[in-house]
Amino acid sequence: MRHTFVKVSLATALLCAALLPGARSAQEKPKVNHTSLKVGDSAPDFTLLDNQWKQVHLSDYRGKKNVVLAFYVLAFTEG
Amino acid sequence: MAKLEASDAVVFGISIDSPAANNAFAQKIGVTFPLLSDMNRKVLKQYGILKMYDVQKEEYDWAQRTTFVVDKRGVIQSVEEEASAINPNSAIAVCTKLPKK
Repeated sequence: MRHTFVKVSLATALLCAALLPGARSAQEKPKVNHTSLKVGDSAPDFTLLDNQWKQVHLSDYRGKKNVVLAFYVLAFTEG
Repeated sequence: MAKLEASDAVVFGISIDSPAANNAFAQKIGVTFPLLSDMNRKVLKQYGILKMYDVQKEEYDWAQRTTFVVDKRGVIQSVEEEASAINPNSAIAVCTKLPKK
């Protein structure tokens, strides 16, 4: 069953690729990925290094603090 | 920032920069909250905000500018993308309204 599903998915993907030649042309605008997370969803946990090389776990703040996650593009650039 | 702290919130900035770059950036702009490094883009993928940027005809995958407010239960209370994510006022407003306990 699972095997069939994989086959069908693969076939669909290949068909889409064949039907959309040059879908990613050089002129294409940067692709915008809108997050699929919405209000009411659980925030996926993560462990990341802070700017002092110390690990930060999102789950450490559960039950303690509200957390604002501000994703930015690159350091030393506007915004 | 003071308003956010008063609302019992902590703030993290997150990008694909190294901790060293983030530390220099933090000192330059004088931020008091931690800047986190998602160097392998794992969290950006988890949160679905990896975006392709064209720089001199080369593609780079960096973060889409996005602000999430996560409450104490770990539930997302607000999502702001692009231009609206730059202004912190609405994130502050969301935090202020959240229950203190």
